[in-house]
Amino acid sequence: MLKAENIVSSHQYRIAGFVVWLLICVLLGRYFQIQILEHERYSSKSNTNRIRKVTKNAPRGLILDRNGDILVDNFPIYVLTAIPGEMTNQDIQFKLISNYIQSDSAILSSNYNKYYRGQFIPTRLAKDLNFQQISHLEENKLNLQGIYFDQIPERYFPSRVKAPHLFGYVKEVDRQIRESLINGELYELGDLVGWTGLEKQYEIFLMGNRGIYFYEVDVFGREVGPAIELDPKKPDPGQNIQTTLDLSLQAFIEKQMINRKGIALVGHPESGEILSAVSSPDYSPDLFTGFTTEREWSEIQTDPDRPLLNRYTQGTYPPASIVKMIMEAVLIENLDFDVEMTHVCSGSYQFGDRIFGCWLTEGHGEVNMTEAMAVSCDVYFYKAIRATNIDQVYDMFISFGFGKKTGVDIPNEAEGLIPNKDYMFKRYGRFGWSKGSLLNIAIGQGELLVTPIQVLNYVNLLATRGSSPVCHFVMANNLPQNVRPELDSSTWDQILSDMRAVITHEKGTGRKAQPEIKGMNIFGKTGTAENPHGDDHAWFIGWAEYLGEKYSLVLLLENGGSGGTVAAPLAKIIFSQFESGMDLASK
Amino acid sequence: MINWKSIEQYDIPWRVLSIALILTLIGLLALKSISQHHQDSVFTPFFKQIVFFIPSVILCAGILFLPRYAVHKYSLIFYFVGIIIVFLPFFSDPRAGTHRWLDIGLPFAIQPSEFAKVFTMIALARYLSDHTLKMKQFSPIIVSFILVFLPALIVLNQPDLGTAIIMVTPALPMLYWSGARPFYLFLILAPVLSILASFNTTLFAIWALMMGSVIVLAQPKILSGIGLFFGNIFLGLLSRPLWDMLKPYQQTRLLTMIYPEKDPLGAAYQIIQSKTAIGSGGFFGKGWGDGTQTHLKFLPVQESDFILSVIGEELGFVTIAFILILSGYLISIVLKHSFLSKDRFSSLLLIGTATILMSHVFVNTAMTVGLIPVKGLPFPFISAGGSFLVTSYILTGLIMRFSIHYTD
Repeated sequence: MLKAENIVSSHQYRIAGFVVWLLICVLLGRYFQIQILEHERYSSKSNTNRIRKVTKNAPRGLILDRNGDILVDNFPIYVLTAIPGEMTNQDIQFKLISNYIQSDSAILSSNYNKYYRGQFIPTRLAKDLNFQQISHLEENKLNLQGIYFDQIPERYFPSRVKAPHLFGYVKEVDRQIRESLINGELYELGDLVGWTGLEKQYEIFLMGNRGIYFYEVDVFGREVGPAIELDPKKPDPGQNIQTTLDLSLQAFIEKQMINRKGIALVGHPESGEILSAVSSPDYSPDLFTGFTTEREWSEIQTDPDRPLLNRYTQGTYPPASIVKMIMEAVLIENLDFDVEMTHVCSGSYQFGDRIFGCWLTEGHGEVNMTEAMAVSCDVYFYKAIRATNIDQVYDMFISFGFGKKTGVDIPNEAEGLIPNKDYMFKRYGRFGWSKGSLLNIAIGQGELLVTPIQVLNYVNLLATRGSSPVCHFVMANNLPQNVRPELDSSTWDQILSDMRAVITHEKGTGRKAQPEIKGMNIFGKTGTAENPHGDDHAWFIGWAEYLGEKYSLVLLLENGGSGGTVAAPLAKIIFSQFESGMDLASK
Repeated sequence: MINWKSIEQYDIPWRVLSIALILTLIGLLALKSISQHHQDSVFTPFFKQIVFFIPSVILCAGILFLPRYAVHKYSLIFYFVGIIIVFLPFFSDPRAGTHRWLDIGLPFAIQPSEFAKVFTMIALARYLSDHTLKMKQFSPIIVSFILVFLPALIVLNQPDLGTAIIMVTPALPMLYWSGARPFYLFLILAPVLSILASFNTTLFAIWALMMGSVIVLAQPKILSGIGLFFGNIFLGLLSRPLWDMLKPYQQTRLLTMIYPEKDPLGAAYQIIQSKTAIGSGGFFGKGWGDGTQTHLKFLPVQESDFILSVIGEELGFVTIAFILILSGYLISIVLKHSFLSKDRFSSLLLIGTATILMSHVFVNTAMTVGLIPVKGLPFPFISAGGSFLVTSYILTGLIMRFSIHYTD
């Protein structure tokens, strides 16, 4: 195996040995130079000229409305920091500070432990100091060696818009959060990171880059000046993001929704831009910036109306009669369906051994498709839908984007639920369900669950005959592909004229949504959703066509009652806002 | 299989193990000092190093029982295993922005390139110990370099320039050891040096003079000699315009790879802090645990790459000198055994091992005092770092195993 003989000559061996010791001597010489010959110089440098690296947080990018008005801004606050290695006596100094700023020294030391990273790195003790507290501390500076102030930018909301669910909030990075972030190495303890809403979705744009400064400090830890050997780096503020919101419309609708529970979404179908989004009840967006007391916080958390929930992306609701356009599309596209054919509504309909009621118990009499849509007759749809099957209905729902995330640009969107045959088999077994379930689905009840943002997308698609882009909150290029329902052009015509009839028909359920504005045509549909949690939810969905533009609207009033009597009048108030038109060109 | 008695009859250089243990102990001492202020009280660098010391010693002892022919026989298989394992990290998420680390589901990750560099060196030893090779020709040199460059290029893309260099370096002394013409080795290096020297006119002039003399002394055919000389000069002259053709961001990327000091917030800061720490240590140091500079926590990797700065500050020049002389002595022992080996494979394996150790010692030490650009290479036995400690003890085992002078 090891046949080849070693042929190394003593000459080669000597050269190798020489190289090794030569290199060792070079290293020894260099250490000798630094440690012995230049010892004095480095020694005094180590005693008097420590270089301290101080980082400065970059302000986050601003969040603007569609016209460039500021919705979310930054505001400098004072924080108190300590350099652990320079403090003379931690316990005594903490007690002194807590006296001067009237806070608990236990809070100081718990903050200290939370943010500690090293002996000579500024460690945060307290924040939100006011001028009086600072001047108290300034007066007693002699006793407070190693204690410093710093200014950091914090989120602040200058406009009259709240929209807390949309903006989301930022969190201070602690050790645990840093471990949980994919790019945790970019953050230092105490930095802000977007945690929900737009703040989270657009974190990489908003965060900016931290500045780094180098200071020389003397033996007592006092800063002597900037270190000249090293170039500082200024903080690089985050990028501003421009939302599609309209500040005044948002503020107006927020005001309308006070003391109501539910959702109002206004969109622009042609572009997918969302002009206003309200989830009510809400909370003040500065809830998370540090001025909140423990009590306020627990009140909000335990409120049965769940103000923290973003209802328009995370709330799932029974859609009720607003799905009737889907049913109409299923019927016309899949069957040889005659819209002029009539069914008689006697107020209820017996199918097998079950009785399905119409919302109008005295019955609508003989109605065709257009009338059935206008008065939202349930019996007509029970009878008509029998000729189809659950999977045909499912496919139509999916083609309008239900049952999956719309891809709107805020995190944690819910998917809702659209049942198909597989789902029903799994849930109820092969014989545990019957065609009766389909009848329930035909009027938007049963297992169906949708999110309001899916409904806005649905309205946008109806208004644009299937070509609306994905709903979004921030002006952006390269939007993800939206679903694209492909219907016959005559089907679109029929659906749109029936939605118009909902408003214009003398008994139309949506007639209260029409504002008295000349030239403004409303298309819509109401819904009244039975739900196990209390009174009916009231829906109004639709759009206004006015001065060549379309404005889509989704209204849901939880436990509000009937869509036609509660939601439609509110829709009118909102549509009236567009009387003077709106400049939708992006700026 | 050989039995333990037969090992005892031959002269196992136990000195090698003793030196390894002394260096490890010094390392632990320094790690204990910096672990005092560590936030995680359990997983301090000190504790981790002790944990990794156990498998290191077991592997080292295990190698003593390996038949030498087996190492020779399976070396190519290990070579390919090495290439595969340096590829694996590319399939998982990067750690700290690089693909150097392989997550194996344990609380720590391993660095496959550490093992691959040993496998590569052994494979090269096997190739060069083939007695039918015509070493006076140029082709074995080319093949050798292909052999080392293949894994080194993968490692370079991780990116880990330091380890890639350590992978390639053993090829030079090993080729020299197996009788390659030094002039050919010079020819391999010349283009690289021409390019590097071309950025400084004085340096380039000196280099041209040196290269000319070497070519004249080697007495090649007139035409090829002239060709070689002007080829290199031409390459040097060409590299400047080529460099200017690169986009600025490409230039920065290359520059920070070669000179991390260009990034003032990273390496330059470390070098200043490191030199201040070492220089202020003086002859006897400031005393164990009393290093003011190292406890400032300004050096992010003080437990691995900059461990000598900690030792230099706290334990002084005496200890540094002791460490360097001990390391030089260790490498001399390996050289001696390489010279005395009966067979060429053992001899090459030992000179390869010596080169790896020496490269680490030199690059790490020189870096801490700003002699060469910062390269993330640890000091053998002393620096904290699980995979590298294991590798160092594998090398120790190989040294002892292949220094037993008999033929089997």
